[in-house]
Order: sequence, then C-alpha cells, then structure tokens
Amino acid sequence: MHGTVPLARRNLLADPRRLAASAGAVGLALMLILLLDGLWAGIRANVTTYEDHVGADLYVAQQGTRNFYGAISVIPTTTVETVRADPGVDWAVPVRGFFSIVELHNKKIATFIVGSVPGERGGAWDVATGRVPAKDDEVAIGKVMAKRHGLSVGDTIDIMGRRFTIVGTTSDAFMASFAFMTHAATDALVSAPGTTSFVLVGTEHPDAVRARLAATGLAVLDRDELAKNDLALMTRAYGVPMRVMVGVAFVIGSLVIALSVYTAIAERSREYGIVKAIGARGTYLLVLALRQTLMIATVGLAAGGLLFLVGRALITRVRPQFVVLATSGGIARAVGAALLMGGLAAVIPARRLARLAPATAYRGG
Amino acid sequence: MMTGRVSLARKNLFQDRRRALLSVLGVGAALLLVLVLDGVFAGAMHSVTAYMRTSPAAVFVAQKDVRTMHMSQSALPPETVAAVRRVDGVAWAEGLRYTTATVEADNDTRLTYVLGYDTATGRAGPRRISEGRAPAAGEVVVDATAAEELGVTVGDEVNLLGRPFRISGLSTNGTNMVNTTVFIRTEDFAKVRGASYAYVLAGTKSGVSADELARRVANALPDTTVQTRAEFVRQEGRIVRDMAADVMAIMSIIGFLIALAVVGLTLFTATLGKLREYGVVKALGAGSGRLAATVVAQAAWSVALGLVVAVVLSVVVGAAIGALTPNVEVLLEPGSVIRTGIGALVIGGIAALLPLRRVVRVDPATAFGRP
Repeated sequence: MHGTVPLARRNLLADPRRLAASAGAVGLALMLILLLDGLWAGIRANVTTYEDHVGADLYVAQQGTRNFYGAISVIPTTTVETVRADPGVDWAVPVRGFFSIVELHNKKIATFIVGSVPGERGGAWDVATGRVPAKDDEVAIGKVMAKRHGLSVGDTIDIMGRRFTIVGTTSDAFMASFAFMTHAATDALVSAPGTTSFVLVGTEHPDAVRARLAATGLAVLDRDELAKNDLALMTRAYGVPMRVMVGVAFVIGSLVIALSVYTAIAERSREYGIVKAIGARGTYLLVLALRQTLMIATVGLAAGGLLFLVGRALITRVRPQFVVLATSGGIARAVGAALLMGGLAAVIPARRLARLAPATAYRGG
Repeated sequence: MMTGRVSLARKNLFQDRRRALLSVLGVGAALLLVLVLDGVFAGAMHSVTAYMRTSPAAVFVAQKDVRTMHMSQSALPPETVAAVRRVDGVAWAEGLRYTTATVEADNDTRLTYVLGYDTATGRAGPRRISEGRAPAAGEVVVDATAAEELGVTVGDEVNLLGRPFRISGLSTNGTNMVNTTVFIRTEDFAKVRGASYAYVLAGTKSGVSADELARRVANALPDTTVQTRAEFVRQEGRIVRDMAADVMAIMSIIGFLIALAVVGLTLFTATLGKLREYGVVKALGAGSGRLAATVVAQAAWSVALGLVVAVVLSVVVGAAIGALTPNVEVLLEPGSVIRTGIGALVIGGIAALLPLRRVVRVDPATAFGRP
C-alpha cells in the first residue's frame, strides 16, 4: 500500500510545470464558481439594503405591488393620514421610489431615486459626507457613484431634466446608486403631485395593524415579503445565466484535470505496464488514476481559493459596486465541485490504464 | 515544404487522439464561457430594444434628459402630443403611456412594462398579436411567453395596476430576462395613473428624414428630449452594455485565462515530449524558424478546433437555455465569434512562447542521444 502513494504523487510531481498549469486552470474554474457564488451572496445580502436600514415594519402600497424596486407603486398621499389614524401605528411617512438612468461621463448609471419628507424617516440612514437633502434642489448620492465619477459635496448633477446640488454622500443599492432627495422634488420629477409610492409604517403590533389596514382596501406588505419578492425578481432575471456559467466552469475544471492526468499517464505507459506486469489489478490502477485526479483537484482548490481572494480584492477595488461575499455554503460547494471534478476526470485516464497491456513494459516508452 | 510543416504539427498534436480530444474540449469549454456570456448579453440587448426597434415611429419624444425606457420614468403633459403634431414634417403623433408594474395570475407574478396605447391606430401597440385581438376597455394583451409562464391565455383574467383585466390577445417578442410587456387601452391607463404621457411617438411626412424631423421637434419643444428611433434603440442598448460591461469583462478575462492554461498545457506536453523528434528534424537540416512554425501551427490548431467546438456548443447551450427559459435569449453574433477567435489566437500565441523557446534551442545532437 505504501508503494502506491508515491507512484501517483511522483507521476504528477515529475513535471511541476504541467502540475502548475493544471492546478492554475482548475483553480481559475473554481475561482469562477466561487466568484459567481460570492456575487450571488452579495446580491442576496444587498438587495434589501433599504428595507434593512430604514426601520419600517410595514409598507403600504398600491394594490398588486410586490416589490420595492421593481414595480412602480402610485398611491395618493392622503393614504398617510389614513394610516396614521390607526391606533396601533407609531409613525407613518410617505416615500417615493423609482429607478432612473443618469448619464455621467458618457456612461448610463442605474440610480434608484428615493424621495422622502425632510426631517422624517424614509431617507438616507448613514451619511458618509455632508448632510441629507433639505431643499428641493438638493440630493445625496451613493458614495460609490460619487467616487467613480469624481463627484463631491457642492457639485451638481442633472437628473431627469433638473439640476441638483449634491449635499451629501451615502449608501449604495446593489449595482445601482441611491439618490436621496425630498419628496417634493420627486413629485416634480415625475409630474405627479399628491401621490407617493409607499407609506412606511412603524408599529409594535404589525400583524394587528396590517389586518386593520388591509381591511380598508389598502395593500400592506411587511419587510420580509418585500425582501423575498425583490430577491425572487433578481433570481428570475440572473439565475439561469449564473447557473450556466457555473456549469461550464465545472465542465472546464473536469476536462483540465482529465487532460492533465491522462497526459501524465500516457507519458509513463511503460512504467504503468511494468506495474501491471508485476500483478497490479484493475482496481488498483483505478485508485491510482483517482488519486492523481484528486490531487490535482486539491491543489486546484487551493489555487482557486487564492485566486478568488485576489480576484475579489481586485473587483471590489476597481468596481466597488460589486459585493462579493465568501460564505461557508459557497466554500462547501466549491470543495464539492472540486471533488466531483476529480472523480469524473478519473474516468478517461482510468480507462487508459485498464486497457494498458502488460507487454508495454517491454516496449519503448 | 509547407505541407510537411503543417503535417508535423498536426501529427504531433493528434498522435494521441484522446489527449487531443480532451485538449480541444478544454479549450472549447473555456471559449464557450466567453461566447455564452456574449450571447446572453447580445440577447438581452436584442430583447430590451424590441419595442422601439419594431415601432413605426421615426421620432420619440420624452421628458428632458430621459433617453431610455428600461429602468426609466418619463412624464410629459398631455398637450405635448398636439404640440408635436403642429411641427412641420410630422405625419402623425400620438402619446404612449408607460410604467413598470406586476402582472399577477392565480399563482404567479411577473414584472412587466405596461404600455397604454391608442387602439384605434395601433401604432404604439404590439407589432404582432399571435392570438386574439387588441384590447377593449378592461382588457389587456399579454406577451405569449409570459402568458405561458403564468399559465394564462386569451379569456383569462390577470391583475394589473391593482385591478382585474381580461386577456384579449397574446403578443410576441415582449419578454426579456427581467420583465415582460403588456398592452392596455390608453384610456384605461389614464384612469389609473393620470393623463400625462411618458413618450410621444411621431411619424415623418414623405421627403422628411427622421434626423431632420427630430431636429425640428427638438427646436419646437426645447424642454423635452427628442431622439430618432435608431438613437433611442442605441441609448436603450447602452443601458445593458454599460451595466453589464464590468461583469462581462471579468468573466471574459477568466474564460480566456483558462483557455490560455489549457492550450499552454497541451502545447507544453505535446512539444516537450517530442524534443528528440525536433532534434531529428533539426539534424536533417530544418532551421529554427521551421521548428517554431511547427509549434505555432500546433497552437493554431488547438485554438481553431477549440473555437469550432465552442461555437457548436454555444449554439446547443443557447437552444437549451431558450427551451428551458424562454425569457432568456442567447444570441450568437458573428462579431462575437470573431472577437473570441482573435482573443483565442492571441492566447495560442502566448501559450506557444514557452515550448517555442525550448524547441528553438534544441540541440540536433539530441537526435542521437537516448530517448
């Protein structure tokens, strides 16, 4: 048994450059899997940034509204008074939210505009620089967008035909920037005075308040529902391409391992012929191939982990709007993928070994 | 002479067919990654711009600084339509009402563009109704792909903008990765969302170009954004391109790096394992240039066959994705294949460098040494 371990290892280590190239390619494939998984985890963690920080327990919206980001809800601002009249409501504020494309440096930037009443909840919750908007021609933008486009407090930005002065920088939405402004400013932008998108509600009795408000014909959602629906929207949009990319990366990794071990075995068919001539069984040779493929998968996994850390650092430095998270689930999936790649990749080299005639030992290599 | 050189490269590379197959599949899979990504991106651009590409309008008028529909809001006063009609050269003009909402069936929902249009002219409505008819009051035309996903058809009821609508017809080409498209009567839209329009569509009189008309309308209505259809399509496509460019670049670089490692691995083993044979060829009088050409030819073979495999696989993968999820379109464009091919050739060239160095330095005496 002791003799078998060095045989697999020595075969692989005989050519360190080939091992390095194989591990590098497998590592890149695993890095891709880890990056996609990390991006997905980043989406999940950040898609609900607004709901996570704004502190509302309930969201009153137009009938049929399911998402905070997707569909545009329009309800009369008088809904705020209706909601405030409920005895269980601690606070209620109107908030308008919608996407807009802002053009900066000849690039189209997806921006989620949030209009709230100055001094009330619903607006920016953490101001990095400057302050929150107080006037109708002021805006606080996401700090990533500000950094990427060289914008700072005091600069101006054109949004939907109106000029705003940047008075603060704040949080970003996922792959988009928040632009916080006054509710009145958004009324003017969309030419819809007397309306809002949501009424945010603070209450210690969400279930009871929700039931009473729903009974009056209002559509009421809680934070978890909105988060779940926003995530489902993202999953539907990007889930299939993501899964295809992961699948292709998995196939690439398997093929590279198979190619590397197959080549290593083919180059030493004479030595393997000797092993077979002195009595090695098919199972032994299969284990020999499997050991080699799993060794490359393991080295590739280590390389993939390192490449992931480097890749993630580069991505988040160059493009901070992308959040790439390393989760225990993502790491477990990468380890599983590497082991599966190693197992599948052993099939072709193992077949080559199984078919090897012992007489090969007596021929030239 | 040339024939012998190519044959040496090919024979060296394909002496072991299984190894050659694994290598070509490896390169092909890495390039497939780049091609499929490109295809998803091109498909998204194609489907996002479907409405404006097929519109009969020559010119689109929107709120100032609004140049797109996707992820955009635009609001124009109702009198804008009459103002556009008055511009010299305008054959027709009509308002389009637009928002993003959720279309809801019994058990499922889809994010959707809601377009409110004048059913009397149909100009701003669906280009093709595959089943049923245009909407009457309280009715909606749903895109066929979304209808299938939602499990509804003509005659069924869906909820939209907080009220029920009966499906009068099914349209085509209105569903993309993110959302679908539904059409209702402009009067129904106005009842729910008010009288303002999002866009005004205009057609040209004969003898007036779209560019000229856009210029005239822009002069007449300086507080709006006026674009020709071609420009509107270009701007809409740029949303996808600008938003996806970073992800595309990252994924493509990874794909090409993997291809580089696979081609390098193949050339390395295929060349260095045959150094003695290269020594023989050199001893027979071949110059270093010829040996180098053999290595480069091997690289070209590897990436060319890998590219062919990648193109074939991307067609298959694209068809499979389309069949499984009709809202995701994978569009394989010739430009994408050419770009990937050029990238693959560059990679082949880089991968050939290491074995090239060894082959050029090979000593003809190797031919007479032990193997």
